[in-house]
Amino acid sequence: MKKALSAAMAAGMTAVMLAGCGSSASSAAESTAPAESTSAAASTEAAAESVVSAPTALSFVFADGDDTFKTQMNKIVDDFNAANPDITITIEPGDGGSYSEFLKTKDSVGEFPDMMEMRDTAMYVRAGKIAPLSDDVKALFTSTVDFDGVTYTAPFSGANTMGIMYNKKYFADNGLEIPKTWDEFITLCQTIKDKGDMSPLVVGGSDVWHIGFLYDLCYANDVLESDPDFIEECYKGEKDFSDANYQKAVTDLAEVLSFAQDGWASTPDAQITTFFVNDMSAMMFSGTHMFSQINDAAPDFEYGWFAVPDRDGKVNLLGGGTAGGWALSAEAAKDPDKQAAFDAFCKYFFSSDVYGAYCEAMAAIPTTVETPKMNTSEQFKSVLDALSAADYTHLMWNQEVGNRELPPDFRNFTYKTCIEVAQGSRDVASASSELQKTWNVALQSFNPTTGLGVE
Amino acid sequence: MLQKKRKFDTTAFLFIAPAFILFTVFLIVPTVSSFYYSFTSWDGINPNIKFIGFDNYKEIFTSARFGNALKNTALLTVVISICENALALGLALLVDNVIKGKNLFRAIFYLPVILSGIVSGFIWKIMYSYNFGPVNKVLDMIGLGTLKQDWLGNADIAIWAVAVVMIWKGAGYYMIIYLAALQGVPQDVQEAATIDGASALQRFRFITLPLISGSFTICFTLSLINGLKVFDQIAVMTDGGPGFATETIVYLLYKSGFGEGRQGYGTAVGVVLLFIILILNNIQSAILRKREVQL
Repeated sequence: MKKALSAAMAAGMTAVMLAGCGSSASSAAESTAPAESTSAAASTEAAAESVVSAPTALSFVFADGDDTFKTQMNKIVDDFNAANPDITITIEPGDGGSYSEFLKTKDSVGEFPDMMEMRDTAMYVRAGKIAPLSDDVKALFTSTVDFDGVTYTAPFSGANTMGIMYNKKYFADNGLEIPKTWDEFITLCQTIKDKGDMSPLVVGGSDVWHIGFLYDLCYANDVLESDPDFIEECYKGEKDFSDANYQKAVTDLAEVLSFAQDGWASTPDAQITTFFVNDMSAMMFSGTHMFSQINDAAPDFEYGWFAVPDRDGKVNLLGGGTAGGWALSAEAAKDPDKQAAFDAFCKYFFSSDVYGAYCEAMAAIPTTVETPKMNTSEQFKSVLDALSAADYTHLMWNQEVGNRELPPDFRNFTYKTCIEVAQGSRDVASASSELQKTWNVALQSFNPTTGLGVE
Repeated sequence: MLQKKRKFDTTAFLFIAPAFILFTVFLIVPTVSSFYYSFTSWDGINPNIKFIGFDNYKEIFTSARFGNALKNTALLTVVISICENALALGLALLVDNVIKGKNLFRAIFYLPVILSGIVSGFIWKIMYSYNFGPVNKVLDMIGLGTLKQDWLGNADIAIWAVAVVMIWKGAGYYMIIYLAALQGVPQDVQEAATIDGASALQRFRFITLPLISGSFTICFTLSLINGLKVFDQIAVMTDGGPGFATETIVYLLYKSGFGEGRQGYGTAVGVVLLFIILILNNIQSAILRKREVQL
């Protein structure tokens, strides 16, 4: 009897454990059931206008590190859900700090979201993980980045144009002027440094991608202006990282970083606004997304914006459509209702009022054919004027596709190597050599000019 | 004598089955499959996986980045193993000898252990902040402003700053193990030695130390393994930087696999780390066991 009882208990335990393995799926189904029944009731009223044939739920992930962006997205999704009772978009926590890694991890554990903010578009397109945009949605934009003629992402902002935000009062009090050439910019930095009131620049070097902003400035001025196909030529072996222009870019970056605040290498991007609005740094080089952060931190702080010119006084700005944006997973696209719900969300998001409010809050460059309704601040107007007058525009080197696409994470390796140069633990020649070695290793498995790793 | 015939015990099997299934699915299968993936150029998401032979391993053993990560891991492991155990034993001796407030001190010293690596990393990142952190502020306040450092931004210092956090966080755990061992040392032997004229140092060297040597083996083994797999504090406090200054093997494994889309290479790094841990652990166990016997 005892033995039978023990056997029954053991069998019960095993059954409980095994049931536990599958509980996430079943509990998920249970937890969504009430929402579905609620929306099912509500959808009866909206059935005539509904774009879906049955109550449809989509999971949604984006990089939620920026508070303004997160607030905007939460509001937009809530409003969309309220306006579409038979569609429920559920925002899942994202990871602003290392979003690309976060999304890969979600995929690895079988939790790839239905819709998401897509950054490493080329990689996910090659893996067949994301679905093409419908023609209706594609038609909303002035320009998109295509892969073999197919568009996979709805760009929610143009390239994040970078420039210098400067302390207007400090500039006026000290008779400082907007530089017209690169050399004048360096002289300006030196003048502020010599005064000793505050650091010329604030840099959030703890976040390696922040270094990418200044890297892009130097790389665009020194390399891209004379050779936009530098990366493609490196793939083909026609150029390498010992190239004189490339070394000049790394040298320029190290020089600019010498004007950053003490402790720049351990300062996170999230702290740079604090330095700027508290008169600890006179200038900040970043994207237009910082406008809202500055306004939130110090509404009365007076600041202006200017583009950093090259040695000849020409301006090369980040601009144009990028490969990033909203995307629908290929798995979700198999369900016509999810596809329809995603299309409906895109149309709602990019509608004039909603998108105008978003661009205004985020100081985002609009991407839509229809001009969104938005008020532009003085700083944002400076950016738009500079963009229209720019001598060149370009994309960040890691946003390029086709033969200019970078090998996976060569970007971060480069930024880290540049930090070593700026800190004096490596010279420029050694950095070039190290970059070339890593490039050569990367080329063993990835080279878009030959199709390796791409096809 | 008749040998009892062994027969299949259904009850025992059913009791073992849950643990066996979980252990197999979540540990054995991934470990074995890691060996396969380490010979591929898999990016972690693409279903087309290409076999590339020993290329990942060749890259590991010729890469300056891996060499740097290995050096940092070795440095952290040695420093942490020695300092953590020395501090833990010191704390255990202090707590063991206090008359009042033994529980209070034990709780205070153990407190950092209950924090997660991520949380303690965030706390110390703030503490170490060059411009706003309490560490530099205190140095300023006591007139030692010249000693202010960019603790996590200076490539020469950052790894030591991380080591301090790990020692602070881990010492309390080993203190409890040493404390338990110290409380098991018979008082009559200590008293007999005192009557025979042994000094406190002699009593510690010839009585206490041999009797707690088993704890040394456990604590050194655990701190060695913890040192080899340090990740969370690095990820939170320095992200491997500045530059590559604080990258460790486990951090490189994660960064390659998930950050750089090189799952195959990252897995190969993991396999190399597995063998390093196995070899070091065997050597250390052999040495410490031999020492236990001698003592």
